[in-house]
Amino acid sequence: MRSLIFAAAFGLASAAALSTATPAEATGKVKCQAGPQSGWKNVEALKAQLTKDGWKVTKAKVDGGCYEVYGVLPTGEKVEAYFHPVSFEKLYVAQRGKVLFRKSGY
Amino acid sequence: MRTIINSVKLFWLILAVPGLAMLHGWWTGAIETMDMLHPTGETSARLMIAAMLVGPLAGVLGQRKWLMWLLARRRSLGVAAFAYAVAHLVFYAIDMGSLEAILGELPIASIWIGWLALALMLPMALTSNQAAMKLLRAAWKRVQQLAYPAAVLTLLHWWWVHDGATAALVHFAPLALLWLLLALRKLNKSQPSPQAGV
Repeated sequence: MRSLIFAAAFGLASAAALSTATPAEATGKVKCQAGPQSGWKNVEALKAQLTKDGWKVTKAKVDGGCYEVYGVLPTGEKVEAYFHPVSFEKLYVAQRGKVLFRKSGY
Repeated sequence: MRTIINSVKLFWLILAVPGLAMLHGWWTGAIETMDMLHPTGETSARLMIAAMLVGPLAGVLGQRKWLMWLLARRRSLGVAAFAYAVAHLVFYAIDMGSLEAILGELPIASIWIGWLALALMLPMALTSNQAAMKLLRAAWKRVQQLAYPAAVLTLLHWWWVHDGATAALVHFAPLALLWLLLALRKLNKSQPSPQAGV
């Protein structure tokens, strides 16, 4: 009986492990309450602005209601960065999990 | 039929399937180099956890047939975990593009911890054969026990490189749960019950 209960608990834990393992989920690192997407500025404009600033943009997508950008800083660091989708304000920059910048309040 | 299911080659093929799918996606351009890092690392961690689960599971559940079947293939799971970890490193190197860039990231905690985890896995992988087992005798087990620090480092690497704990912790939770259970059992057994002396 005990081993049955254990097996059930173990199965549940393993199922939970697999179900949360989808890579596309919101990471929750930064959240933007920026209203409906119709009010957002175009992500291409953000990419263009960053490129002008000397960034190399690898990829940009939406995460936690913000624009999340993967790219290389003008100084050469490979980073993951979050921007507000309406103001394009820089909110968070991290290099392999090491936080280089975080706007206060975010 | 039974001999096919029990063949080690088939088991190897099954372990290789996710990797072949990833490689195919990358080769055809469907998966960017950067996006090869997560699946290779995650698969490595999953196989490592699976290899480490078999022993304690047998300790808790007893000698079940399917567990014995897996126990006989634990080495394959471990070696496959190492192979996916090496693929993880190779794609990291391709993505970084230069030795200078790789060395530049070395001081970051999540990164050097990842290197260290792989370094601990290397002697385990190299001794995962009958010849090494015979040669090393008692020391062989100590080499394989590197799996414990390697697992802890892998968890930290995953946690810190993502700056988020959920996925990493959930993956390692079953292992932690089993260890806890076995430790509690041991404690129970080593402490004589109050009536024992009477």
